[in-house]
Amino acid sequence: MSGPVVPPAVVVIDDDYAIRLSCGKILTKMGLRAESFEDGARGLEGVAKLKPDMVVVDLKMPGISGMEVLSRVHEIDPQIVIVVITGYATIDTAVQAMKCGAYDFLPKPFSPDELRLIVNRGLERRRLGLESQRHEVERAMLTRRFVTFVAHQLRTPLVAVHQYLNVMKHLDQSPAKEHEWIARCLTRIEELQNLIADWLTLARVEGGAMLKERIRVDLGQTILDILKAYQETAAAERVSLEAGVAESSLYVLGDRNCLSVLFDNLITNAIKYNKPGGKVTVSGAVADGEVVIGVADTGVGIPEKYRPFLFDEFFRVKDESAKQTAGTGLGLHISKRIVSEMGGTIRVESQAGEGSVFWVRLPAAEDPAAGIGSQNDAGAETDSNGR
Amino acid sequence: MPAKVLLIDDDSDFRAAVKSLLESHGYDVLEASSGHDGLRMVLEHKPDAILVDIMMETTVEGYGVTYALKYQDEYASFRNTPLFMISSIEESPDERFPMSAEVEMIRPDRYLTKPLDIPKFLGLLEKALGAAKGVVV
Repeated sequence: MSGPVVPPAVVVIDDDYAIRLSCGKILTKMGLRAESFEDGARGLEGVAKLKPDMVVVDLKMPGISGMEVLSRVHEIDPQIVIVVITGYATIDTAVQAMKCGAYDFLPKPFSPDELRLIVNRGLERRRLGLESQRHEVERAMLTRRFVTFVAHQLRTPLVAVHQYLNVMKHLDQSPAKEHEWIARCLTRIEELQNLIADWLTLARVEGGAMLKERIRVDLGQTILDILKAYQETAAAERVSLEAGVAESSLYVLGDRNCLSVLFDNLITNAIKYNKPGGKVTVSGAVADGEVVIGVADTGVGIPEKYRPFLFDEFFRVKDESAKQTAGTGLGLHISKRIVSEMGGTIRVESQAGEGSVFWVRLPAAEDPAAGIGSQNDAGAETDSNGR
Repeated sequence: MPAKVLLIDDDSDFRAAVKSLLESHGYDVLEASSGHDGLRMVLEHKPDAILVDIMMETTVEGYGVTYALKYQDEYASFRNTPLFMISSIEESPDERFPMSAEVEMIRPDRYLTKPLDIPKFLGLLEKALGAAKGVVV
């Protein structure tokens, strides 16, 4: 933000001329803008016009009472800090004023120091109030934008299906065309299902599932299972799958489902964003207490300008030339969340025209074959066998 | 000669449905899958009406197209071409996009929500094309 700094403004409302005069002098000397008014009606007009940061008001005045001024000032702006001056300081009136929203009270007679102290405290309160209000507004805006975005993501496939059905109802078309459209509707519904599934996974990861469930998982086995499951899909895309990992060699502690989701995402991406005749290679090794897995494809590569955003929620490469591929924009975001929750890292290396490698590093768990008394899947069984 | 309608939307299924609808009602339909392509096709094919999706996952989205058509000199001859903005957002656009300059471009009778209400959409399109012709003559 730029522009000259405007000093805070204080409005004093008191029927006592001496108070108005002395308060005005003290406040001006403090470097504040000060305006005073002799009764509640004029005071409120002044507040409405000046929008001050703070109001100092006498409780006992002819005309509109100080107590009423208090509530009317807060109708103008609830963030204005109000200090009441009272000549008959009893706990009762002070409490009543505070209940009506006053920040503090100043019993008459008061010294310039007392006024300065209370004004400074009040202005600090005003500053903090405005700041938290700003944070709240920002948070509300973020939430609103997020909700709108999610609604848009969910509606897009739904709208496509709805529009197809609408037009099908309106027009007499050939059965062939209707068939084609029904197939498209099913595809879009599947897209919607995937989006919801991804959302639930994300909620599960964010809910701390990774921390709750930490069992020993054989990553080699997990990856081999996934590669086997996608054999057919890959063949249809004319992409070959190569496993550079073996069973019982890579162990980590974590949630089995989340780990499956992580490598499922990386492997399906490597297939989807590949080219006919291409290859997906998954390699694994243990180094310096970490399991390092690389998922490499031979696709078009990811332009450098997009790489910083690759793991962002809903980020998808928006190139005019980008292959139109179905996807929720959540896969890599979820993958990153899973990896971070496990205390690991994920990064991408990419070469235009040659492909990309996603590297996942996770803290290694002990190999059960090495067998040094850590809990694992088989642990309970071993115990019951009374080792 | 049938009226040419340019449909700018990044969802190929939505385009396919609307294209069939319009063709069956005697319109010629041109398709663009991004704001960028859409603007290029405006210059190239001089459509009689333009439909543009507001939220597209492309570099030039709906507002970019609208802005270009309204303010850029290249497109000056298309200022009277009926332009419909479409979106799956239910609220009125000025609530969703509280940007005064942009909102000015959107007339309530030119803002349509997805899925398109077919009779209403066809009626508005026909009316807009008739009015545009009136302006030219």
